[in-house]
Amino acid sequence: MSTYIPSMDAPVEEPALYALLAEFHDPQSLMNAANVLRKAGYYRWDCYTPFPVHGLDKVMGQRPSILPVVVFTVAALGCIGMLALAWYCNAFDYPIVVSGKPYWGLGPHMFLAFPVTVLASVVTTFYATFIFCKLPIFRHPLFTSERFRRATDDGFFIAVEARDAKFDLKVTSELLNSAGALAVEEVRD
Amino acid sequence: MTTIEIPQTRLETGYDNTAEDCINREPLITGEATYHAVTKIVCATPEARRAPKIWYVCFTISLMLLCVLFLTIAYQVFTGVGVWGNNSPNAWGFDIINFVFWVGIAHAGTMISAILLMFRQRWRTGINRFAEATTVFSVLCAGIYPAIHVGRPWFAYWLLPYPNIMGDWPNFYSPLLWDALAVGTYSTFSFLFWYFGMVPDLATLRDRAKTRTRHTLYGIFSLGWRGSARHWKIYDRGMIIMGGLACALVMAVSSTVSTDFAVSQIPGWHETIFPPYFTVGAIFSGFATVIALAIPARHLFGLKDLITERHMDNLGKLMLVLSSIVLYIYLIEFFTAYYSGNFYERFAYYNREFGPYWWMGWAMMFCNGVVPQALWFKKARTTWWLSLPIALLALFGMWTERFSIIVTSIHRDFLPSSWHMYSPTIIDIGMFAGSFGLFFTLFLLFCRFLPMVAMSEVKSILPQSHTHLPEDCKDAQ
Repeated sequence: MSTYIPSMDAPVEEPALYALLAEFHDPQSLMNAANVLRKAGYYRWDCYTPFPVHGLDKVMGQRPSILPVVVFTVAALGCIGMLALAWYCNAFDYPIVVSGKPYWGLGPHMFLAFPVTVLASVVTTFYATFIFCKLPIFRHPLFTSERFRRATDDGFFIAVEARDAKFDLKVTSELLNSAGALAVEEVRD
Repeated sequence: MTTIEIPQTRLETGYDNTAEDCINREPLITGEATYHAVTKIVCATPEARRAPKIWYVCFTISLMLLCVLFLTIAYQVFTGVGVWGNNSPNAWGFDIINFVFWVGIAHAGTMISAILLMFRQRWRTGINRFAEATTVFSVLCAGIYPAIHVGRPWFAYWLLPYPNIMGDWPNFYSPLLWDALAVGTYSTFSFLFWYFGMVPDLATLRDRAKTRTRHTLYGIFSLGWRGSARHWKIYDRGMIIMGGLACALVMAVSSTVSTDFAVSQIPGWHETIFPPYFTVGAIFSGFATVIALAIPARHLFGLKDLITERHMDNLGKLMLVLSSIVLYIYLIEFFTAYYSGNFYERFAYYNREFGPYWWMGWAMMFCNGVVPQALWFKKARTTWWLSLPIALLALFGMWTERFSIIVTSIHRDFLPSSWHMYSPTIIDIGMFAGSFGLFFTLFLLFCRFLPMVAMSEVKSILPQSHTHLPEDCKDAQ
């Protein structure tokens, strides 16, 4: 394999098109446009809002997240694990009578199992949420758009990715415009 | 979008939105209630070149107190726990009093964020970030005490169940172990919950950043959040899970702390009422702290339209409810002691109000039970120069409550020959003052550099955020 040497007079390639970014005026018009896009059969697209818009997931056709299942599993493991640890330490490996109490008791050991359950669930929720969101990610094509900075302030956006099977620069931008977009722009990687 | 007609008077800054009209609901956000206005108000402080002058004054004082904390801890660690005023029979003194006091203050943040989240109280959005911050910092202050309590902090890991050369394990029946686990979980939880909620707001600060340093720093901590609807869905679910867990945790933490006392056999400690007693008292002191901090903050940082009169009114009402429960528990304790017919039990309660620490006992009654009854009046809830002293007195009252429970119960135990008075040493007092320094240093830094109000949550309760599903997507998915 030969080493790649960039030549000085090579033409500067324009970065690849990542998505079409459309801005909307308010949550309701964003939701209507999302409905249009879903019905048009687009798959790789997303809405960007400064706050969670209630019902948008339904309009976008999102499936429920598996986060609760993951958290419940880890929480149950935490609870059982703590009870097992208490049993191993105080009743199995080094049994010792303290104040005439039984070696192992579910009641008092719930005081240990409960916080451990909560701790396991909270840490799992925290990490799993961001892992499922594929975060942290510090470089994203959308961050190159000056307009997109308002997505965390008062802007409502839809980005249709260029890799979507139905994506066509002309057709998609017309669709977005007819769905009520204030402005449509190309975002390049 | 259908335009929602808002009477012009409601758009005035500082509009009084406390009226109870079920048909014509008052707005939770006054002033110019647009998305951008919310962003501008909240970001104004972190983005300002300079903080208000009073901030520098407070910060200097807090830093000095923080130095006192470090010096006293260093002195105590190098010398030994003998520098405290604890003696026999007063094995517990300021160390535990202040620990329970700070843990109590920590409860309001979770209460406001989690329990009010579960009850769908929309007004909580104005104050939850703020209250969570008090939680995080006061748990930290509380955590100092057990950490140095062990006397030789470099052996603190002995508390953990790890395989060691002696082949033994911690005693899992010990309430102190439950306590450590509960508070450890609580501090981890409150920090993660606080940060989790702040990520979208940090992204707002990142996107508004004018300098490279700010952009990089807020960029790192906002984890690349870009407000994606797919992310919001998972995030919202995570928030609800955390909130639900917190509801149970907030009840469990002070209950567990109370078992430190309740499972012992000292009259005045050995009571089944202790878990709810400690929890209610804790939430009460937490609300007092939130009121005491929200009043200066909303004046100083121009947050009057986000933390409105109505928020203060609601906080006052909740504090009144909790104060009434606390008063009920005080009275029922006396009744139980009388009704038990037990000589030692009766003496403990007689001694609490008429013994050498009588003024502590009466101060707790007066500050926690009597003074907050003024909050029945709306004027007391919404006038800062009335609610601020009430809140501060309640905080003092809650401290005296812990003193009464801990010291007056043990300083005169079963044998009069072992009776002994307790008085804190200068190191005890310095450590307590220093913990305020730690709290306020962190709190002032939070006010200066982080979003004090949860912007994304406030935006979601503005009237224009209300949407309805398009007709033809009801069966989507």
